[in-house]
This record gives sequence, C-alpha cells and structure tokens, in this order.
Amino acid sequence: MFRWRMSRDPLWGEFDRLQRGMDELLGALSGARKPAWEPFWREARLFPLLNVVEAQDSFVVTAEIPGMKSEDLDIKVEGDTLTLKGERKPYDAGPDASYHRRERASGTFQRSLTLPRMVDPEKVKATYKEGVLTITLHKEPASGPKQITIVTE
Amino acid sequence: MPDQEIQATPKQEVAPETSEFTREGVYFSPAVDIYGTERELVILADMPGVSADNVEIDLRDDVLSIIGKTESEEEAGTALLTEYRKGNYFRSFRITELLDQSKISASMSDGVLRLVLPKVEKAVPRKIPISAG
Repeated sequence: MFRWRMSRDPLWGEFDRLQRGMDELLGALSGARKPAWEPFWREARLFPLLNVVEAQDSFVVTAEIPGMKSEDLDIKVEGDTLTLKGERKPYDAGPDASYHRRERASGTFQRSLTLPRMVDPEKVKATYKEGVLTITLHKEPASGPKQITIVTE
Repeated sequence: MPDQEIQATPKQEVAPETSEFTREGVYFSPAVDIYGTERELVILADMPGVSADNVEIDLRDDVLSIIGKTESEEEAGTALLTEYRKGNYFRSFRITELLDQSKISASMSDGVLRLVLPKVEKAVPRKIPISAG
C-alpha cells in the first residue's frame, strides 16, 4: 500500500484528472464520441451520470448521488421524458473547520432523459438506497391493432 | 447568475500496483472532503452503493486506508446507456496529525462515509501564577 502511494504523485493525479475532465467535455461538445443513443447530448449538464437498462416491460435508470435527502430530489415523468432535478447541499463543517481537501461537489443539478418509448407516469417507482437512486419506469403498452370481440346477441 | 451547478466527474480507477491488493474487482478512488478543526480531523468519502458493513478502515504506520465494497448485482435486460461503472472503492492517506486512535469513529449514511479522527489533546499553554512570599 505504501509503495502504491509513492508512485502516485498527487500533483500529477490532480492534473491528470483535470485533463481527463477537459477531454471528456470537449468530446461531449464536439460530438466526437457518439453515444448509444441521442438524448444524452440534448443537455450539456452532465450530472448525475446515468445508467439505463431496458427490460421487457420497463426501463431502469440508476444514478449515484450520495449524501442526498429525498426532499432535495425532484423526479418528473412526462410522456417519454424523465427529468431529474435536485440540490446537493454542502456539508456544514462548522465555523472553525479548515479544509485540507475538497473534492465532493455540491450545488444544483437538472438532467432530462428521453426514453425510446412512452412510459406510464402512474407506474414509476423510485428508491434511494446507499446513495444510489433507482427509477423503474413501466413502458406504456404499445398501441397496436386492437382485436375487437364480437358479441352475438 | 444561476446557482452553482454540479459537473459530473467520471470515476477514477485505482490501479492495484501492490501485491497486498489481492482482492478481486475494480476499484475506484472516492471523492473526499478532508477538514480539520482544533479537536479533530474529519474525512467524508463518497462511496455510493456501499453499505455500513462493507466498509473497512485500516490505520497503521501513519497510513489510513478506506475500502468500500459494493455488491455487484446483475441488471436484467439490455444496457441502453452506461455513463458510469460500478465497482469498489479504495483510497489511502498519509496522516501527519497525532491522533487518538482509540477514539476514531465512523458512520456510513446514504453512500457517504464520515470518519472522525480526534486529535491528541495538545498541552494547553498556561500562565503559571507566581505567588509572592
């Protein structure tokens, strides 16, 4: 463990992180990397990072947002769009605290995600556990041809 | 001027370069806040997906190590978007303060680890009164 620490000069680690952040941002703006599907690029705001999994009847969206209170989180579903809004409040360290390091971000965020299908706004389930937000959205049944039954009288 | 907006930072993966790192899985370096007051050193570490009993804290030879393990659950279905990776967390720090190791406390809530390391009470300078006579 000691050896690992020696080989990582903290100054370069910081610079590296900054460089990678810039590359990511430039890549996003120039559209150099095309994502799996479009909606990610509609908003330039990138927080929080999302993972979306499609199951047979639902979409499961997960985000890692540690240290949130549910009253500071706002989830809206409309049609095929999910909007996540919130505020991550900074930790109150008290008046006589002096920071040696401050990496955890705080502030407001808003992010919209358009899903490939319409979802049922009545059947949305959201859970927040151990800092992970999990939203399960049920697909609206596809409106296909309806079979009409004939009632003989 | 809008409120300050958070920017997402992709997770930094930790390269296990030492043989002590025999655990399986991918490790990321958690974002931390470290601050000190007169009495204590506090470390806050973002480790979403880690429950309280999956945190390991090790302090030896002035090196404090934090390890958080996540349970990997297979998501049923097709991944449409994967902006972040899931994995464990590891970070170590060199502690230069004198700490009262027996009084270190840790709590884990909503994916945030809060480590409180009380400092050794320094001798408070006193004025010694001199009595005449």
